[in-house]
Amino acid sequence: MMNKNKSRQRFAVEAMGTVAVTAAIAGLAAVISEFQSIQITSWAIYGLLALSLVLVWGHAGIFSFGQGAFFGIGGYAYGVAAINLIGATSETFSAVVIAVAVAAIAAAFLGYFMFYGKVGDVYVGIITLATTLVLFTFMSSTAGPQYHIGEALLGGYNGMTGVPPLSYGTPGEESNAFSPGALLVFTATLAGLVTLGIYGLLRGSFGRVLAGLRENELRTQLLGYDIRFRKLVVFAIGGAIAGLAGALYAAWAMFISPGVFGLQQAALVVIWVLVGGRTSVAGAFVGVVLVDGLASFLGGSGGNATPIILGAVLIGVVLLLPQGLVPAIQAGVGRLFKETKEDKVTAAAETVTEESSRYAGLPVPAGREGGVLEVVDLHKRFGGVTAVEKVTLSFTEKGVHCLIGPNGAGKSTFFNLLVGRYWPTAGTVMFAGKPITRAEAHERVRRGLGIKLQVASIFTGLTTFENVWLAAFGKLHDSAAATGRANKILDWLGLTDRARHQAGALSHGQKQWLEMGMVLASEPSVILLDEPTAGMTREETLLTAELIKELGKSVNVIVVEHDMEFVRHLDVPVTVFHQGNVFAQGSLDELRQDERILDIYLGRGGKAVA
Amino acid sequence: MDWSQFDWLINLALSMQLSIAVLVIVSIGLAVVFGMMGIINLAHGEFLMLGAYATLACVRAGINLWLSMGIAAFVVGIFGLVVEQLLIRHLYGRLADSMLATWGLSLIMAQVMVLIFGPSTQGIATPLGSINIGAYSVSGYSFVLIAAAVVLLAIVYWVFTRTPYGVMARAAMQMPGMAAAVGINPKLINAGTFAFGAALAGVGGALLAPLVGVMPSMGQAYIARAFMTVIVGGPGVISGTASSAVLLGGMENVVSYLSTPFFGQGALLVLAIVLLRVLPTGISGRWQRQL
Repeated sequence: MMNKNKSRQRFAVEAMGTVAVTAAIAGLAAVISEFQSIQITSWAIYGLLALSLVLVWGHAGIFSFGQGAFFGIGGYAYGVAAINLIGATSETFSAVVIAVAVAAIAAAFLGYFMFYGKVGDVYVGIITLATTLVLFTFMSSTAGPQYHIGEALLGGYNGMTGVPPLSYGTPGEESNAFSPGALLVFTATLAGLVTLGIYGLLRGSFGRVLAGLRENELRTQLLGYDIRFRKLVVFAIGGAIAGLAGALYAAWAMFISPGVFGLQQAALVVIWVLVGGRTSVAGAFVGVVLVDGLASFLGGSGGNATPIILGAVLIGVVLLLPQGLVPAIQAGVGRLFKETKEDKVTAAAETVTEESSRYAGLPVPAGREGGVLEVVDLHKRFGGVTAVEKVTLSFTEKGVHCLIGPNGAGKSTFFNLLVGRYWPTAGTVMFAGKPITRAEAHERVRRGLGIKLQVASIFTGLTTFENVWLAAFGKLHDSAAATGRANKILDWLGLTDRARHQAGALSHGQKQWLEMGMVLASEPSVILLDEPTAGMTREETLLTAELIKELGKSVNVIVVEHDMEFVRHLDVPVTVFHQGNVFAQGSLDELRQDERILDIYLGRGGKAVA
Repeated sequence: MDWSQFDWLINLALSMQLSIAVLVIVSIGLAVVFGMMGIINLAHGEFLMLGAYATLACVRAGINLWLSMGIAAFVVGIFGLVVEQLLIRHLYGRLADSMLATWGLSLIMAQVMVLIFGPSTQGIATPLGSINIGAYSVSGYSFVLIAAAVVLLAIVYWVFTRTPYGVMARAAMQMPGMAAAVGINPKLINAGTFAFGAALAGVGGALLAPLVGVMPSMGQAYIARAFMTVIVGGPGVISGTASSAVLLGGMENVVSYLSTPFFGQGALLVLAIVLLRVLPTGISGRWQRQL
């Protein structure tokens, strides 16, 4: 596997780089001044904070402005714990651990409400930012002796003073504070370890699933991944890292104030990451050093201008370099050294030339037998409008079934009730003998429902191979087996030569086939397809019909379709929807004898078609 | 009727109405821009601040307070138009980027105000004196704010239902392609909506000016509550903002009354987060109404 070796090599480079930089900084600590040690320590701390945002935003696509909140929570938790415990334990490592735990729990709590409430991306940004700002107001109003936790006074707007520095010692004896040099070595080592951990995390299957999440949340869910839980986990890890940074910050400054929850501090974290590059792990630290260097340089000449410069940087990066400063420079340098550009993938120009019998046999084990999908008395109302009314249907045998009907007949709503996008007002959806009426989409997929929505929903930023791999891994939970299956499916689809190219560069038809391959990779026993040929050329449509017929030989395929020629080509039983009801069932030829159906489609007679 | 028995109740009801009114006043401009354009303006707090300073400057120049507030709305509206032309219009459809760019704008605006007016708090005398209700003394200006909240909601309703611009704006929001096809210029509509939202923020800041200290960082004090009100309210500009202001403002006020403002703030945050767990698209998200 060339791909695997490459990724292993890359990880080795990343790991060695991290260790080398960490060791160099630790070695530096012996020769530089205390002042310099203190400054570099602060960079390592802020770098960790920025790293938490790179993970959460850059890699999981969670738009969190609240990393500053977890940083502050970690700082306050360290302060409270250290002040109360140092008398008994003579060390403050336990306080660091407590701070990390508190920040992780806070992140998990907030994450639970956001991700399990399924709030949109923007809302996540606003909720996290608003939480940070409310904490600012909240902690600012804790002035006065009544606001204390144990012996620790919260101190209101002026902050908590007398926070013990990082110390070691044995209980009962005097505690020993770290010197600035030792603190630098300790902080740099921790930062190095966290960096290594993140590199490792991103390299594994976890990282690929995160990439899927970032690229296309809906598709990830339709591959059977519980995206809410994954987001929660990443958000909690991000919170823990930010909390660690906050604890180290409080120990470093021996002080923490509500200022860490301020708008400017929150903006700084985003700016660091924007400058370093949203997805670049090393860039987090580079961004901190660059921005902090710029700020302290300007601080010398005119400190009042700092927020203006930061604001201008923010606007400038967004307008001019959306990918971030460091990646833009890297790309520029890369262009200088690379004479030949990689061939632009122009898949769209390709034509399908293979003979039509290419889809003989399925590349995966045929789905479990008994994939029976039934709906009983299904109703769906939107406000006062009834979209689906008292539908009872069952799809019991393997083979292809078509749902047709004019616009507004309720077939799309019906489809969405089957996949779990909507919940019915009344009635039951049964799958393999069990009700799934209100199951989340990923639960349906795990039970063997394969779902393909109308618009091709793939991970455009990932390679074609990675797309299918993610689908297979969601079922197999084994990286090597998933690789094998992905290759087989790509071969079956005739997309092997596209395996290492970005899926976004595929032609429209190829994207649709890729998605069907992804659906197939999860071994479904029932496949739901919503207008699979929308926007396809005639040739592509015929190939798709071929593919679907082949699927129908071993699984139960339900197709919602508009294109009557395609339906004729499939030559399968058809169910006609009209005004939210099942109007007729039978073969297309039988139905064509029925005058009433012509009325529906042509709008003839008294019944107007919506 | 003997007032003294009910004075505490009347006082509580008034202060609750005031909390709700303040939430409406600080968030209606944000709600218009979010609801009609889907843009989150992170500089909204600074737009409020700008309105407060504009009022302050006019009052210092000897202009009547109420007229000054009108001028403030106009000034901030024009400022909003400029911001839309220079910044926002490049970022339609790039939600995250528009948030980041307006965030940058907010940092710049706050600091520019520090450089011009200094970081210290300045005030405008609260007009209208106070009224005694039993043992309590209530500022007459509170009644102005409560009335102003209702009037602002009414104005927004009127603009979006009774003016040609409003009808076009709602059409452009629902079906941009269709709106363009019938000859509505979405660029003009967007510029107009952003300016209208900015003007509402300006009048909001102007109304706050006599109540609180005017300072460059005052935007920060309100922005979190404004955001919470808007996202809990959901896409319905009027129905959503009003209902979430009632819920959140009422909650904050009752908890503050029973304990301290410290817990009132916390209660607002927790209620907002819990409400979003139950109604992820906001209170008005499930309603079929548009306003």
